[in-house]
Amino acid sequence: MRILWSNLIAIYRRELQSYFASPFFYAIAAVFWLLSGFFFVVILLGPEGVIAQVALRDQAGITEPPIDVPYQFQGIFLNLIGSLSLFLLPMLSMGLYTEERKRGTLELLATSPVTNWVVALGKLLGVVTFFLTITLPLVVFELVAFSASNPPASYQVLLLGHLGLILMAASVLSLGMFISSLTDSTILAAVLTFALMLLLWVTDLIATSLAGPIADTLGNFSLIQHYNDLIQGQFNTNSIVLFCSYIFLGIFLTAQSIEAFRYQRS
Amino acid sequence: MIEADHLSKTYGSTLAVEDVTFSVEAGEILGFLGPNGAGKTTTMRILAGYLPASRGTARVAGFDVHENSMAVRQNIGYLPETPPLYPDMTVAGFLWFVARLKGVAAGDRATRVTAAIKRCNLEEKRDVLIRKLSKGFRQRVGIAQALVHDPPVIILDEPTVGLDPRQIIDVRNLIKSLAGDHTIILSTHILPEVSMTCNRVAIINKGRVVATDTPDQLMTSLRGGQGYEVEIGGDVAVVEPMLQQLAEVRSVEALSASGSDLPSGHSLVRVMTQGEGDPGQQIAAAIVGSGVGLYEMRRIRLSLEEVFLELTTQESADGEGGTLPEAAIATTDSEATDPDTTNTTTDSSNQEAI
Repeated sequence: MRILWSNLIAIYRRELQSYFASPFFYAIAAVFWLLSGFFFVVILLGPEGVIAQVALRDQAGITEPPIDVPYQFQGIFLNLIGSLSLFLLPMLSMGLYTEERKRGTLELLATSPVTNWVVALGKLLGVVTFFLTITLPLVVFELVAFSASNPPASYQVLLLGHLGLILMAASVLSLGMFISSLTDSTILAAVLTFALMLLLWVTDLIATSLAGPIADTLGNFSLIQHYNDLIQGQFNTNSIVLFCSYIFLGIFLTAQSIEAFRYQRS
Repeated sequence: MIEADHLSKTYGSTLAVEDVTFSVEAGEILGFLGPNGAGKTTTMRILAGYLPASRGTARVAGFDVHENSMAVRQNIGYLPETPPLYPDMTVAGFLWFVARLKGVAAGDRATRVTAAIKRCNLEEKRDVLIRKLSKGFRQRVGIAQALVHDPPVIILDEPTVGLDPRQIIDVRNLIKSLAGDHTIILSTHILPEVSMTCNRVAIINKGRVVATDTPDQLMTSLRGGQGYEVEIGGDVAVVEPMLQQLAEVRSVEALSASGSDLPSGHSLVRVMTQGEGDPGQQIAAAIVGSGVGLYEMRRIRLSLEEVFLELTTQESADGEGGTLPEAAIATTDSEATDPDTTNTTTDSSNQEAI
């Protein structure tokens, strides 16, 4: 058990270190911060922004129902950040295993006393931590804005929203990790993961635009719907279970695919 | 310590390794010698537990590589064909990572990493990013990686590839210094390397082990004969009985005259000799004595390349392999041992010679 733990930490730290050593990931983080900062300002303070709309309503004399500005804002903002992440996440997960395969370091991992599960879990934790790091500034923005709110904003909603963001990202990264374990090509892994994102998005679109049992079933499997529930402050055990299932599925498939890779390689 | 028992590996319909059986005692260095594509890497990978064998079993440090894979992995250090390195890590950082991965106890890691760095002469590169290292240094980091956790068994796949002659000497000395405490199996396609570092040699060709012996005995059976190429004014059959009577003559063989501008009626004969002496005079006398004219007589030596070909193609002929002129080995050795000839041509010719 101690050895498992030590292995997990080794893999995790190496993975995390590789992100912070790479200019590519700083560039991704920079673009992400630029866009999310822009969204933040526009949604909160822009001419069509939440504050402007509330002011407009006040001028028109509409006070019922009252609008919870922080809550309203977070719903729109994190929804956009979620969509932005769907573009960003395939770029984070594309190199997880393709690089190991290309460099031959998979041979080192496969001949070290460490199971495929631990490697996959360590890698996933590493990339999720990196994503967590680049979303931290958003929390700071929000905290600053929310602190000016009167009556005081509910920080539970903020926490729940960001938990949703991290869980959704972890699910996508986990599936992306599986895709990266299937190929030597980083670009192919990114394209396939992106295609998977589109598929999830289309599924969600079908689920929301149709009615009936099929649409309901699809809706229950939709990452985006569960994410939207969470960022709107609706805590639901179903959502947590669904995200965790996706994460587990990704790790499981990765471990199996690496095992299969060794058996069939020629 | 290492036992391979009738190992076979097929990729689809191609046979990579067939019926390979050998064993390595504790503390021994076994050299795996063979041309490119002979199945060396596949065998190494099976022993390291990276590839499953199609048939047969292998045991390393008493554990079956397939059934008890984790136990085997704890007991081996493995340098694959391409050193498995993370270019964005420093040398020390990478070795630290490997030590952690191989389960070295937290308190021992610093000592083990420092020891591995010292053993592989990497002190000056300790904090350099692996990305910035030359191929030779990368190879050494690869070796350091294989011994950082002080494993009882070390598997090295072509450890000296890409090194300059001085580094090759260093690495060979390093490997020799590891023997005793460690059991080592290394693959190479360089004949002198095997004779200089290994206790025993297994020669592999087309997936099969052709011969297993100590380097000394291998050399003895390889040595034995230079020979002569003779142009005579008659048929081989005329001189052969006389030549065969000489104790020093090992074989008499007619060479095809096609393409040469031999006068009609003449033929070319290759006479291979054995033993320490030079029976040139007796051969000449025997030919002249048999009544045919002696037109040309030239001393020949098989080049290393031919020796290797003979070794790996003639396995069925006599099992002893071919002839290896001492001089040829000595040349290659001195080239490799001379630190002043640090040019890459030495290195490549060294490799191409075999």
